[in-house]
Amino acid sequence: MARLVRTEAVVEGRTEIRYTLVEDDDTPEWEPGERPPLIGEPAARVSAGPRTAGTARFTTDIVLPGMLEAAILRSPHPNARLTGLDVEAALAVDGVRAAIGPADSPGGEESAVLTDSPGYAGAPVAAVAADSRAALRAGLAALQPRYETAGFVVDLDEALSRQDLFSDPSEYERGDVESGFADSAATVEATHNMPAQLHSALEPHCAVVDWRPDGVTVWCSTQSIYGIRDDVAGAFDLDPERVRVISEFVGGAFGAKFGSGAVVPLAAELSRRSGRPVRLVLSRREEQTTTGYRTPASITLKVGASADGTLQAIEGEGAIGLGSDGWTYPIMEPAKSVYACPNVHTIVVPLRQNLGPAAAFRAPGVMEGTFALEGTLDELAEQLGIDPLELRRRNHSENDPATGRPYTSKRLLECYDRAAELAGWEGRDRLRSDGRIRRGMGCASQFWWGGGGPPAYAEVRIGKRARATVTVGLQDLGTGVQTACAIVAAERLGVPVESITVRAGDTALAGHGPFSGGSMTMASIVPAVRAAGHKVRQQILQLAGDMFEIGADDLTLENGEIRSVDGALVHPITEVTGQLGNAWVTGSGSRGPNPDGMAVNTWGCQIATVAVDTATGELRVEKVVAVHDVGRIINSMGARSQVAGGVLQGVGFALMEERVVDPNTGLVVNANLEDYKMPTIADMPEIVCDFVGEPDPHLAVGVKGLGEPPIIPTTAAIANAFAHATGVRLRETPFSPRRILEALG
Amino acid sequence: METVITVNGQRHTVAADDRLTLGELLRDHLDLTGTKMACGEGTCGTCTVLLDDRPVLSCLTLVAACDGRSVRTVEGRSPLLEDLRAAFAATDGLQCGYCTPGQLMSAVALLEQNPSPTTEEVVTAMSGNLCRCGAYAGIIEAVERVAVR
Amino acid sequence: MSPARTYARPESADEAGRMLENGGRAMGGGTDLLPQIDRGIAAPDMLVDLRGLDLAGIDHDGHGVRLGALTPVAEVARHQHLADRYTALAQAAGLVASPQLREMGTVGGNLCQQPRCWFFRHPDLQCWLRGGDTCYAQVGDHRKHGLEPGDCISVAPSDLAAALLALDASAVSNRRPAFPLADLYRRPEPDDRRTVMLEPGEFLTAVEMPAPPDASAYARAGERAAWTFALAGVAAARFGDRVRLAAIGVANVPRLLDPADPLAGLPGLEMTRWKRRLLSALVDDALSSL
Repeated sequence: MARLVRTEAVVEGRTEIRYTLVEDDDTPEWEPGERPPLIGEPAARVSAGPRTAGTARFTTDIVLPGMLEAAILRSPHPNARLTGLDVEAALAVDGVRAAIGPADSPGGEESAVLTDSPGYAGAPVAAVAADSRAALRAGLAALQPRYETAGFVVDLDEALSRQDLFSDPSEYERGDVESGFADSAATVEATHNMPAQLHSALEPHCAVVDWRPDGVTVWCSTQSIYGIRDDVAGAFDLDPERVRVISEFVGGAFGAKFGSGAVVPLAAELSRRSGRPVRLVLSRREEQTTTGYRTPASITLKVGASADGTLQAIEGEGAIGLGSDGWTYPIMEPAKSVYACPNVHTIVVPLRQNLGPAAAFRAPGVMEGTFALEGTLDELAEQLGIDPLELRRRNHSENDPATGRPYTSKRLLECYDRAAELAGWEGRDRLRSDGRIRRGMGCASQFWWGGGGPPAYAEVRIGKRARATVTVGLQDLGTGVQTACAIVAAERLGVPVESITVRAGDTALAGHGPFSGGSMTMASIVPAVRAAGHKVRQQILQLAGDMFEIGADDLTLENGEIRSVDGALVHPITEVTGQLGNAWVTGSGSRGPNPDGMAVNTWGCQIATVAVDTATGELRVEKVVAVHDVGRIINSMGARSQVAGGVLQGVGFALMEERVVDPNTGLVVNANLEDYKMPTIADMPEIVCDFVGEPDPHLAVGVKGLGEPPIIPTTAAIANAFAHATGVRLRETPFSPRRILEALG
Repeated sequence: METVITVNGQRHTVAADDRLTLGELLRDHLDLTGTKMACGEGTCGTCTVLLDDRPVLSCLTLVAACDGRSVRTVEGRSPLLEDLRAAFAATDGLQCGYCTPGQLMSAVALLEQNPSPTTEEVVTAMSGNLCRCGAYAGIIEAVERVAVR
Repeated sequence: MSPARTYARPESADEAGRMLENGGRAMGGGTDLLPQIDRGIAAPDMLVDLRGLDLAGIDHDGHGVRLGALTPVAEVARHQHLADRYTALAQAAGLVASPQLREMGTVGGNLCQQPRCWFFRHPDLQCWLRGGDTCYAQVGDHRKHGLEPGDCISVAPSDLAAALLALDASAVSNRRPAFPLADLYRRPEPDDRRTVMLEPGEFLTAVEMPAPPDASAYARAGERAAWTFALAGVAAARFGDRVRLAAIGVANVPRLLDPADPLAGLPGLEMTRWKRRLLSALVDDALSSL
């Protein structure tokens, strides 16, 4: 039986209320302290074979018979009106099969993809599909667009002074900050600035669409196959059941691959018009200018505390630049939610600029807000003469300070202790010297959500050789969630992880799954897989009971064997499954809701050690100790990889990543991977990773997400380590040689 | 212009357009899509293949300039490549896997020239292959596992 | 995806020279030229691949070294004699771009590469250096640009040029016998905006270095730990009691510096004053390695 259940889910700081279909589930939770087999052991990712053999088919690799190549004509101007466009001329080019301009744009008037009033350099104006790349180039050239240009704003400060708001300011208040500051023995006010960070996934946004009268098939590099299905069905007024979305392998996303963007609707429209499959792959330059970015932000925080370091008030003002689209990313969430502070008042102004749309980027808002909060707190600790880690301990909150709700679990204090131990925090002052190379150590706390929730569904089936297939309606960006699904199913079925096949990335398969993002995927899907696996387990035991004439309740399934509880009976599982012929035993499972009235969060602490060359301004992050509390770990190797990846992107943000926009022309001048620097293998610090690792007692399977947490505190920890090393605060990223030399004066 | 080029041991005579890059030849004409494209202008290392045993970027290599030369890609077979594949899997030297073929080819080039590299030599040899997911620690460990100790 | 281009692989220097006189562009590894073509910065009628000319190789005797212009940069980096006797050059070669680009790129191509200025290389802009009216860098973000005022404030990017200049190298072309390497470069002028001074039909065939210095070293700083063009690079070489010091990343041309006053004539611009400190540190580093 299935029920409709009302649930509350927190998605990257936004609370969503929804009804969701939930199946009955009598899967027993593991006992506290129980160490189930396979769970938490290191496991190689299930897709390592095709990914290392070159046989993994990414969307960019899809080739269909008769397929056309497509490309987009984009405005070179940051603000303009299209005064001429020769679509007919493009159509007249040999080999061009379809060409469309704003008048033919998919998306209707409300959300047209092609525009005749481009509001940023790179805005899509027209699109062409052709037999060959040569014909495509000729077709694009034939469009001969003409523009009337207009003034524009790209600079965040200028946008702020013009007060061109994208939407209403986002304000939060509790207590009375004025009285809080009046009660404070010390106050610190600091402004932290940061430019946009570009996702720079190596596989660009791309889509292949095969539009046929009986249905549309979309291959797409996406974080949400079901999101794409709904977008296409909505934009073209199709029955969602007639839209199939396939995304078997995704070459990185990091938040930029939600929604169908420009590529999916344009490829669909060009395929519809030409009657041919169409492939549309963005160039690197398009990728870096039109598909999203972490918003540039300016965050001013004023914090007040009593002499013992107890926070009395936090007041915050922030501005973020959304370009032409986005939402108000929660840059004040750390100020609001990390520490126990009775009086908090924050306001965030989302600004419009003549730049491409913003997009969520791994811990959107929270990472930026953590840099600001943790940097300001470090200054407070210095002013009060309190050890920075101790200051954080003293402001630990037992309940969610914004709502008063209890946490499902919170082991942040253990994270501090463990990180301090692993980093040698007590001896950190011995790192310091007056020489040319200065070393220092800094810490920062991590806060995020990550509890996941419904809807998420899975199907498990086992066949005659006791090999099982897990089917889930999600996509694997490389996070390892499919491997986790295999592990959880293997545990229930008592078979090795290697005997599990995971099928995913196709809406034609069973099991609607969640999008991949917000650190929600793992916590959402794994309980559904476990429930499905458990149903199969129960059936196998029932069949075994029938065969061996024993009650199913007296049987267990482990290590490929069915055993009676008294140990008298031992049979390989294949003795039972061998009777199935070509039938399967199947089970389905769904994700139930999280408990009402509780806050679900992940926690952590990172401690960075840096070495600064005070003569050249070169900063080296030598080591990052990362200790996180994300509930139960399913795959210790995969979890460590997630942490390493998050930390490295944090190192990139801190040291080198910056979209540079020329205020005179409105153009992004480093929209390539030579000028936009991201970390190489030589930039990787030593990463010491640990988890405090106890299952969350209030969540199914005890699992929380790990995608965002590791990137969140890294920049703050690096900046604080720099201050420890040099006595100078870096309040603006990236910490490049130029900025460091200028800061050191 | 006609070009004779050997790819993974197989000879091909290509009536190549002068503008055709090696990456386009592999992916669009020889159906060898294991070699991935990410920037198209020589900045990321994703499209690395071996040209006469040296690692090169297939996006910046003209087929016309490859007459008589030999190319190896991730689809090729060799014991060293097999060992590296297994090691990358065992050390989790990959996440999304998009950069992995290029990483593997750089690693093959290194270990063929220098079967016992130091960690520093591994880092230098792999420093032209960007991995946005940050699987670098596993990559170093994988190459070192396959190196002759 | 590149605009149409034709390709030729001449077998003699004369044939190559004729092709270059008729709208061709010399190509070594193609690592600088092909991306320029893709971005619409260069549009040669023909790519003249010089790799058929037998110009690759490193020859040395007690009196000097001759580097063929088509020698891959990677070979310079891993050449034991160069590492031992012309250390600055081997060090510089090992820091050029990325491993793959070092395998593909050539000595001649590295010396003749165009500035990395993000305005010069922007597909939607035609800056002063490309024949336009505006140096966008002067009025815009020039944090990585030069320390000398001028019509164009882009900087010479070649690591090899700094090392070779310090090592007192000469260039050889198909039309000229050995000439000082410094003469290959010039600050662009309004009526002739070239920075690399090769005449139509001319291409580098070799670089020659005199007898090795007593010691030499190259120091540079970048924006990350690998695969980055130098923010600035300094090569130093000691020949007896004489020191030659050369820098890139600070001016339109690779510049010889006065060891007694290395920052002379390099006042810095609004956004590049920080580079004076960097340059000073790199000079100290290079000199202290001698």
